[in-house]
Amino acid sequence: MQRSVIFELIRYCLVLIALFFAMIPVFWMISMAFKPIAEWTASGADLTWWPKAPTLDNFRFIFGQNTNALIVELERTAGRAILASLLSSVIGTLIAMVVGTSAAYGLSRYNYGKNLPLALIQLRLFPPLAVMIPVMIMWTFLNLVDTWWGLSLIYGIVTLPFSFWLMKTYFDEMPKEIEEAALVEGCSRFRVFTRITLPMMAGPLASSALLVFILNWSDYLIALMLTTREWVTIPVYMASLSSSMTGQLYGAKAALGLIAAIPPVIFGIAIQKHLVRGLTFGALKQ
Amino acid sequence: MSNVDDTAKPVASGTVEKTDSHFHAYGKNRLGLYLTLPAQILVLFIALFPLLMQLYISLTDWTPLTGVRWPQAYQLWSGLANYADLLDDDRFYGALWRTFFIIIVAVPIEFFLGLAMALLFMDEFPAKRLFYSALLVPMMIVPAVAGYMFFLLFQSGGPINQLLSLALGTKVAISWLSDPDLALAAVIISDIWQWTPLMFLILLAGLLGVPSEQLKAATLLGASPWQRFLTILLPKIKAIMVIALAIRTIELFKIFDTLYIMTAGGPGVATETISVFIFKITTQELVWGYVAALALLILFTLSVIAGLAMYFLQRKKREVAA
Repeated sequence: MQRSVIFELIRYCLVLIALFFAMIPVFWMISMAFKPIAEWTASGADLTWWPKAPTLDNFRFIFGQNTNALIVELERTAGRAILASLLSSVIGTLIAMVVGTSAAYGLSRYNYGKNLPLALIQLRLFPPLAVMIPVMIMWTFLNLVDTWWGLSLIYGIVTLPFSFWLMKTYFDEMPKEIEEAALVEGCSRFRVFTRITLPMMAGPLASSALLVFILNWSDYLIALMLTTREWVTIPVYMASLSSSMTGQLYGAKAALGLIAAIPPVIFGIAIQKHLVRGLTFGALKQ
Repeated sequence: MSNVDDTAKPVASGTVEKTDSHFHAYGKNRLGLYLTLPAQILVLFIALFPLLMQLYISLTDWTPLTGVRWPQAYQLWSGLANYADLLDDDRFYGALWRTFFIIIVAVPIEFFLGLAMALLFMDEFPAKRLFYSALLVPMMIVPAVAGYMFFLLFQSGGPINQLLSLALGTKVAISWLSDPDLALAAVIISDIWQWTPLMFLILLAGLLGVPSEQLKAATLLGASPWQRFLTILLPKIKAIMVIALAIRTIELFKIFDTLYIMTAGGPGVATETISVFIFKITTQELVWGYVAALALLILFTLSVIAGLAMYFLQRKKREVAA
């Protein structure tokens, strides 16, 4: 008994240490987001772990309101970047989910598209940069550069492997008796898919969509290559937040980083149970 | 018309193999073709044209600055010169080596930390779910934002030096991101921070899949925790370990976001990985013929690896399921 109490204590200590390291960077960004400009780069003895004079100025600033401390004029406000991120991630998720789900169903039930699993794994495996030049040329040719729909299209393609593989494992697991009964009753095949299978898959569809959304929302590289001004997404916009007068706008960037971090963390925790399956391409189910 | 079996017959459940059952019941139907078509088109759209185009461009000295449109790139035909240059490019080898160095250092550390955490979380303890969720947070942070977090942490007047000062009792003012070796270390630390949770998540799922009766039986028979780990847990999660390691290796090979925000590949080329190298020569030096050759080389190598890995994954999947 004595031994197990000690063991539990050690476990708690170790878990708390892990938690400490996991949280330090997050804590520092949150703290920075509420610091007034004077505390941004304070170092050594002046370094403040918790803002001495907490302020919302950083948030006001990135949304274009005048603040006392920051007299830099922003060409574009963060609202626009948030809109760009939101729009392209949502539409990209929609594309990936619609195309991926129907292809997964076609393969799982009708055995079409047997090349897709490997092709899509390869798509995921390749560094996006290795096809960036042709994509940039194609996007320029199709007038898709720096548009929300152009960004949505590439997001839909890039996350297609995830929606396809996730839904494929769910369809493969789903018992087929109900569908078969409906087919015998004379229900058309397409109606079986849309009216019977999809409603039964509402849970998996929702969690897959959230995972795909997180992945799209997290992109930096593609938006860096394919947007220039109008539709830059949050990460690209954040990286550009600096001025010739004050240099890096530490607090403003942290405020925006905090806003960007919130949706994926909430969604990620909500779909915890599906994360393993989603991120291992269905190789592992929880 | 091949779809004569349009009026599908249900198959007696239980007696027939599952994989066979849907085959008979659904038959070959056009619907399957229509449903998979959009995906096929998108894959072709993103694979075929880019591939052919890169192949073409890679045999020329074409750049977007030449004033020639890319279909006329043959005017700048250079044969295999780009490929020859590539094999002779020290900057390329440097980037390749640094990418592998990051993989070799970060993946094992992430693996063992993740495994240790997973072992801690195998039994129930108060507030376990809360700790579990909190420990997964790093992997959900947008990588570019994580890069910025570490950029802040590693400032010479930043909190990491402050903590070190407190721990060591003297004033520490290391300029992490402007020292070539330390910048690489900082990049690796940020990756470990962000992706150890993924290892933890995958390995814990594997460990929890091991039947608890076996563990209990072993405990009753007097097996030490270490023996239980070696003889029961390890063999059962070997396949999952391979998957976890493979996923991290593949993703780290592509490392860009965090690193680029932290150091932009610098100082000099100290943290320039393959992705950063491609990005820079694409956007700054604009030698697109050369980039195309490099991209094709990478695509080709990875395709071969993918084929092998896929084969392996399928086999492991069957083992995990069994």
